[in-house]
Amino acid sequence: MATGPLSIKLRCASWQQLATIYRRDLSRGTMFLKAGTPPPLGTEVRIDLTLPSASVIVLTGVVEQHVTDPQRGDGVELKLAPIPASSVWMIESALASEAKRRDTPASGIPIIAAAHTTGPVPAIGDSEDVIAAEKELIRALLSEAESLRKLNPFLVLGVGYEASDADVRAAFGDLTKRYHPDLFARYESTELRQVAAEIFILIRDAYRKLGDDTSRAQALAALGRTAAPRAIPSHAPPPPPVPKRAQTQPIASVSTATPPPPSPRANMPPKAIQDSTPTAVPGETPPIPTAAVPPLPQSGLAPMVRSQPIPTAPVPPLPAPGVPPLHHPIPPPRSQPIATVPMPSSMTPSKGMPRIIADPPRNTPAHGIPRIAAPQPARPNTRPPPSSPEPKVPDGENNPIEDLMDAGKFDEAIGAYKLASKKNPNDRSARAGVEVAEGLRAMTNRDRLEAAQRFEAALEIDPSNERAARELADMRRQATNERKGLLTRLMGKKE
Amino acid sequence: MSKIIGIDLGTTNSCVAVLDGKGQPTTLSGLDNERTTPSWVSWSTTGQVSVGTRAKRQAVTNASATVYGVKRLIGRKVNTDDVSWFARLAPFRIVAAPNGDAWVRVHGQPVSPQEVAAHILRRVRQVAEEALGEPVTRAVVTVPAYFDDAQRQATRDAGQIAGLDIVRILNEPTAAALAYGAHRVGEGRRLIAVFDLGGGTFDISIMSVDNGIFEVLATGGDSALGGEDWDRRLLERIVDEVFDQYRVDLTGIPMAMSRLREACENAKKILSDDTETLIQLPFLANDQHGAPINFERPVTREQIDSLTKDLLDRLEAPCVRALKDANLEASELEEVLLVGGMTRAPAVQAVVERIFGRKPSKGANPDEVVALGAAHYAGILAGYANDAALLDVTPHDIGIKIGDSGFAVVMPRNSMLPVRAKRLFATTSENQKFVSIELYQGDSPDVSKNRKLGQVVLDDLPPGPPGSARVELVMTVDVESILSVTARELRTGREASVTIRPSGGLSQREIVEIITRRRHEGSHAGALPIEGGAVRVTTREHAIARPDDDENK
Repeated sequence: MATGPLSIKLRCASWQQLATIYRRDLSRGTMFLKAGTPPPLGTEVRIDLTLPSASVIVLTGVVEQHVTDPQRGDGVELKLAPIPASSVWMIESALASEAKRRDTPASGIPIIAAAHTTGPVPAIGDSEDVIAAEKELIRALLSEAESLRKLNPFLVLGVGYEASDADVRAAFGDLTKRYHPDLFARYESTELRQVAAEIFILIRDAYRKLGDDTSRAQALAALGRTAAPRAIPSHAPPPPPVPKRAQTQPIASVSTATPPPPSPRANMPPKAIQDSTPTAVPGETPPIPTAAVPPLPQSGLAPMVRSQPIPTAPVPPLPAPGVPPLHHPIPPPRSQPIATVPMPSSMTPSKGMPRIIADPPRNTPAHGIPRIAAPQPARPNTRPPPSSPEPKVPDGENNPIEDLMDAGKFDEAIGAYKLASKKNPNDRSARAGVEVAEGLRAMTNRDRLEAAQRFEAALEIDPSNERAARELADMRRQATNERKGLLTRLMGKKE
Repeated sequence: MSKIIGIDLGTTNSCVAVLDGKGQPTTLSGLDNERTTPSWVSWSTTGQVSVGTRAKRQAVTNASATVYGVKRLIGRKVNTDDVSWFARLAPFRIVAAPNGDAWVRVHGQPVSPQEVAAHILRRVRQVAEEALGEPVTRAVVTVPAYFDDAQRQATRDAGQIAGLDIVRILNEPTAAALAYGAHRVGEGRRLIAVFDLGGGTFDISIMSVDNGIFEVLATGGDSALGGEDWDRRLLERIVDEVFDQYRVDLTGIPMAMSRLREACENAKKILSDDTETLIQLPFLANDQHGAPINFERPVTREQIDSLTKDLLDRLEAPCVRALKDANLEASELEEVLLVGGMTRAPAVQAVVERIFGRKPSKGANPDEVVALGAAHYAGILAGYANDAALLDVTPHDIGIKIGDSGFAVVMPRNSMLPVRAKRLFATTSENQKFVSIELYQGDSPDVSKNRKLGQVVLDDLPPGPPGSARVELVMTVDVESILSVTARELRTGREASVTIRPSGGLSQREIVEIITRRRHEGSHAGALPIEGGAVRVTTREHAIARPDDDENK
């Protein structure tokens, strides 16, 4: 026999659905749930309602009556406990921010995703508003950090591959004003600042890699090289994509950075086939030459790689024996002159310790996937079309399927990708393309949950799919912005 | 939530500022209308403490119990060169604490520099409370960029003793740049140098100011070089002259030293504007025969410049290095800002002009600009200014000891905060069981010249030949300059980590004892009001918790 209330997790897949539920049910203090075998009357129920933005609102109530609704079928009517003001606020503000985009109807009936019993429901009082909102923001930031880790430095900053110093600095400044931990100092949670710092470190590292011409050229070269093992048959590398991070943000503090115009330099540097490093996957640790080593009595350690702040990357696996060492693919960054790093005397070759080994290449996604044409992809319904549509780059290397997606013809794009993947079942990019196109279609239908899942699936199939990575990062950034706005408003209300 | 004030805790003078209703930083003056408070603390024989101008006035009559320049001592060991030089001519006694820290002795009682600084902080806090008409519990306090972790932590401890939650330690040149650049939003990117020569410290920072983003590109300096060294040179010369002439050693006569010191400081100030002045000190002391010495000596600007030529020379190297670290030529800078009273000296300005090839700017009031910047930063932290962010850097290399005296840098100096750096190390002996990784901070390739921060021990390493166990060291420095280090053996995934809680020399227990004692004394002496809740307990009311509190969560 269950000791606690019946716990139900609900997902609102779209804002439309939430709006329907809210209007019809929540605002009246009731809730209708479909149920084939309805629980007995009086059963306590706890509902974790997941909003399309991934926020969770906890509702509690009891089963009041069993109903057979001619439209909705068999189910139960719940009598809900009063909804905390903060949750109402969250729903209303979320709906308001989505209101302009809403036009397609949805069924409005949530699907019961999982049900199990849990312990007593903790009471959520108004004094906990801010804490709850903080937790929301922390989660959003964490997932944003997660998606940023998959992006190459250009995408992290949201600049084109042909960006200038000034572009990079402007983008960095813009992001700094949003993510620098100091800007989270006013909130009460130290964890919030730590998570913001994690994001800022990623942004900072990207900035360091792109901050000047030399390092930017290196970063480009690194991207070109890592694409090598992922060469896509039948496509030469297309022009770099134009990230469009800033376009999907409904809430204030939207970046106004516009994508740079299409670059005449259409091609990435062709990837150099490197015969010596076929197995040198980005992120892998360089092998260590074995050498006779005199014991070091003090710390018992010898340095093996040049120091360089780098973003958190997966733990490199031990190298396969016999792989030749890599050489410096990335020069010391501007602010860290390696020349000044003292070389411990115990490491000089004279003592037989050739210990300093080059950095491995950065763990950046490769760009082996056909890219978006440079003009802004028009997304019907979600984004206003560019006021003066630029002509497409007449570039034979453009992927026509990407063009279809940019034109909003997702069904055609899905079809084309499916065809391609049938022809060549090993072409991961085509299979990922299906997911991306599905995701983009879901986006136009304002089904953000579905879209996010599609993009994640695309990345799972093909981790180098930049478009999926970027779209996912966009969505998560948007979620962060919404939560930050909410938290700030809640705090403002308190003061 | 109370306002966050910005405090410039200076070697000679302290200043407090706050954002006014319009979001503009303004300096605050207390009932005595002084915008700066001399960083002097004096104890009467009855235990009464005076701070500021009142304390400075006692320098002559109560020289041995009147303490100044405590910023030179805070968080430092007594056996360092700078401290011994300072001690030689200070009229008060500088003694070694059990842990080797430099303390002062007042009426036979050892007093930590943190406590002395706390008196000053309490005083400026009182000034702020008088001016604002409301209690103040939180502050941003500035320190020289070149302060190391111990000096910073000691400053934080002083704040705690004074009942102030120091929400952030800010670098002085950065604060100055913030005050300077805050009005210049929208002028595009400007590269500037902030040349900060205060009473006791010298800092040089190369910064870019770009549309509200204040990025420190490089920083350098000398935490034991300042205006008081100029005073001291003159003082030493005169002490020698008096000895030659009268065979009297003035250093043994605190009252004479205090008068002379003050006269030298005044002479130096006058010589910033005039080329010649006269030091007159009637009845300075008695000569061998008991006859009074009526001291009189003209001093020219040339004389003082030649006495301090080596000090002027010491200004150049940090500037050159900072430019190099920032990867810039002097000609690329758009402006050189002068901060600190000593930059009023024409000789110093000439050196600046020679190094940077341009006339420095003298627009800002060098005594107040740092406090104004601190107030501005307090506004950013409190959420009043969303359009600005400050990107500071680590002032010193951080690395580990290699071999007997080698220093392997993991995180180079001038890394933008927050930052994470990794470096891979290998074991060096057969079947090595553990590694003891000693963490150091400093700029010397010889590890013994750097400061030890702590250590991480990673044991149970997998057996194997040398180099088989590989240890990845990850260092993270957060925006409050707190370092945490994780060492992980890559094959087994075994890891050990440590968060360096810098020690300012006082343990938490000692700090609590001081606070308790003060509260007790305060009820008798009727000195400054004693604040409750000085020992911070982490609650959610404290929006900005100190990093120390994290472990209590």
